Amino acid sequence: MNERVIPWQPTVIAGPKQALLVTPETAKMMMKKAKRPLLVIGPLAKEEPLLTHSIEIAEKWDLPVVTTADTFKIFSERNVETKSYGTVEILNLLKDPDWKGVMGEGQHDLVIFVGGIYYMASQGLSTLKHFAPHLKTLTICKYFHSNADASFPNMNDEEWSKYLEKMKLN
Amino acid sequence: MAPKPKELKADFWKTKDFKISIGDIISEDGIESTDESSVVMGPTQKPNVTDLRSWDMKLLERYPPFYSPFCDMCCLCTYGKCDLLNKRGACGIDAETQQARTILLACCIGSAAHSGHARHLVEYLIDKKGDDFPIDLGMDIDIEAPIMRTLIGKKPKVLGDLKEALDYLEEQMVHLLSACHTGQEGSSKDFESKALHAGLMDNLGKEVGDIAQIAALDLPKGDPEAPLVELGVGTIDREKPVILCIGHNVAPGAGIMDYLEDQELEDDLEVCGICCAAIDITRYNHNAKIVGPISKQLKFIRSGVADVIVVDEQCIRTDVLEEAKKNNATVIATTDKMCLGLPDKTNEDADIIVSELISNQIDGALILDPDKVGEVATKVAMKTSGERSKVQVLPDMDEFVELAKKCTECEWCVRVCPNSLPMMDAVVATSEGDISKMEELYKNDVCYSCGRCEQECPRDIPIISMMAKVGEKDLENQKYNVRAGRGPVQDVEVRKVGAPIVLGDIPGVIAFVGCTNYPDGGEEVAKMAEEFLERNYIVVTTGCGAMTLGEYRDEEGKTLYERYSGSFDAKGLVNMGSCVSNAHIPGVAIKIANIFAKKPLEGNFEEIADYILNRVGACGVAWGAYSQKAAAIATGVNRWGIPVVVGPQASKYRRLFLGRTDKEDSWRINDLRKHSEVAGEPAPEHLLYAAETIGEATVMTAKLCIRPNDTSKGRQLKLNHYIDLHKKYFGTLPNDIYKFVRVEKDIPITYKRDVMQILEENNWKPREIPQEPSLMDMKGD
Repeated sequence: MNERVIPWQPTVIAGPKQALLVTPETAKMMMKKAKRPLLVIGPLAKEEPLLTHSIEIAEKWDLPVVTTADTFKIFSERNVETKSYGTVEILNLLKDPDWKGVMGEGQHDLVIFVGGIYYMASQGLSTLKHFAPHLKTLTICKYFHSNADASFPNMNDEEWSKYLEKMKLN
Repeated sequence: MAPKPKELKADFWKTKDFKISIGDIISEDGIESTDESSVVMGPTQKPNVTDLRSWDMKLLERYPPFYSPFCDMCCLCTYGKCDLLNKRGACGIDAETQQARTILLACCIGSAAHSGHARHLVEYLIDKKGDDFPIDLGMDIDIEAPIMRTLIGKKPKVLGDLKEALDYLEEQMVHLLSACHTGQEGSSKDFESKALHAGLMDNLGKEVGDIAQIAALDLPKGDPEAPLVELGVGTIDREKPVILCIGHNVAPGAGIMDYLEDQELEDDLEVCGICCAAIDITRYNHNAKIVGPISKQLKFIRSGVADVIVVDEQCIRTDVLEEAKKNNATVIATTDKMCLGLPDKTNEDADIIVSELISNQIDGALILDPDKVGEVATKVAMKTSGERSKVQVLPDMDEFVELAKKCTECEWCVRVCPNSLPMMDAVVATSEGDISKMEELYKNDVCYSCGRCEQECPRDIPIISMMAKVGEKDLENQKYNVRAGRGPVQDVEVRKVGAPIVLGDIPGVIAFVGCTNYPDGGEEVAKMAEEFLERNYIVVTTGCGAMTLGEYRDEEGKTLYERYSGSFDAKGLVNMGSCVSNAHIPGVAIKIANIFAKKPLEGNFEEIADYILNRVGACGVAWGAYSQKAAAIATGVNRWGIPVVVGPQASKYRRLFLGRTDKEDSWRINDLRKHSEVAGEPAPEHLLYAAETIGEATVMTAKLCIRPNDTSKGRQLKLNHYIDLHKKYFGTLPNDIYKFVRVEKDIPITYKRDVMQILEENNWKPREIPQEPSLMDMKGD
């Protein structure tokens, strides 16, 4: 099996359905196609270089941003507007088809995740996989997330950095 | 089982000011079992599986289960495996219901572990002390068993009385476990109701177990000044024969301490423990020592310090025998829960067992008699210690450097690590003679030595042994202490703090409990406890959590137990004891309802839980919860109305109970004083919440101490802490603060201007403060 698509923590494999391996090009196509995308940024993005990468990707695609855990603080200090929710709180809202989304305009149809703790993110993606058929999930971490609908593969830092740079282009 | 007044349904009993005296309860043989002439009995004495269902549905309506499936499939029957992703299985079950079923199963396992333990203790202690041995917890504790009183409707007076509670809960557990069978329950909410019942049975079983051992073994009886006992790998005198007890049942350890005392050998051997067995042995005899929490287990076994390893039940490595063999340590199994394939030597002469063990005729021994365990463990340790001390059990550092050079940097050790710790970097650095990275992982149990890295390593590099070796470098600094588990809170303490807690003047009671499956070591948990202690919260703790708090020293070298009193009062750090002592946490909340608010306990679960949910600002923190017991503990206290914050690993339990602040109707409450339903507030906002970082957990814990009953003065205090902590970890005032301001008087003076601005932005309007907030007697009940 291609090691790039064995989940980073291999035992999170939950069943026959696995995420689609995506490149930055495919990921961007998903974002272009989405009507109400949302970027959810976890605490691993409190550190560089992911902090700057995620800010620049959000700006490039004009994405509304949710920060989880206490990630809000560093973004606020960088004058980046985000909405703060606990990971489980935002997931709980995302699985409700009637929730109006962070902009109040309707439930999101694509949620992009980056910077979450791997195993907790995996559990959260499992929640959405099972109970949020109304939206798609995309992860742009450097780890393959089998519970997402679409995921970057396992990568080293250098390759991942290139992927994230490509996400900032049209 | 005693006959129950089932024909009188709930509404009848809820009639205002109506009291009835049933008198005594009829036991199996028809003889009156108590001499109390008048017992005010509520509607749910010995509640069956469905008797508290209406309360559960209220909780589940407000805090709907949030599921994170660990697995898409069900593999419990031969129709399967069934893939439940967006479809039903062959039996008809869907993914949500399957998650709830798995939760029930976990709670049944956890509850059975505690209650099996309690049954062992009660039978053993009755055998030792007699059926009629009095349960006397001293002058300051009249309400010895608040959970038992509420559920069974009786005050236990002698050890034999505890059997009735065990009989009851064992019957309930059979029904609950049977519901997990294929083709039974088909509703996730009903599975959750059953899980809440299993959690409640867990609470009851723990209370029975701890009360039995406190009374019969004369453990501290609510003593706030229980002595400090030694804790830490560095406290163990390695020159002496060492007996290590692992698990949760005090009986074998007590047997060892008794034997040493009888033979006047106390100064000749070291008796130490890991996990709750350690806590309870030190409650029994302060000369015993605590190695540390469960995270120390594999490292300490590998270090070879222990000559004899005595295992009892729960949370013991199941490969303990193989690990012990690696360094010629002797294993003695002592309960039916863990026999390890060893020959049963319970009825054998002690000296013959010793002879067989030291001559390696047997791999170890199963001895189901705690007193005999004491004799055999002592004799074997004394005879083998000298020989073993000549054997170097861990390779020296030079050998480790050579072993580390075998690393191919495949990184699988990192990938299988539960916390993705940089194990590979540490090994590679070691191969270059630099152990600093390994030391970083050792400190504070950042690596809790589960050993998965070793299992995965294709070059068989003994990473945990390296970790153990690194730990030996700094033994002098691994000496800490913990206050011996004091057991329940005294009634007199409850009288003193009941009003300040209910009115909000003491901002909350926070319980640090559970295991050491921490995402980043134990120090951040201890610092979180320190944060709340400094803010005048009452901090209670048990089990591995209590040990974690003891392993942290401030800049002056003092532990938290040396800095804070053991009183149940503001700024008090109260170590209640072991896992089974967790029962005293809901126990003290129940006592507040009873002593401060005069709520009758007997058969009155729903009113008590309703009181706790709406008026007692308590919150549990289980940052490293890992076991099924922890699942049962949390679910049990949730049913009493106490919220719990868990760490990120606990997302693997599959289920949380989350409120929705945007669903305003779900927060409506009944003001019993005015007999009218009013708009409520999200207090507490969640019942079971998984945080991702310690900062998030700290802020959420402060928020979850808010209750509708707070006075404005109390609310100001609570909001002040919530805002302070939010500013510390998030940099701003919380934008949901307006939801917790009922009237302007609730606003903390320090933050008045900022809060007023948020209120204006959210079109805030003042609302009435309910006098007696409740979920009972709501419309539709």
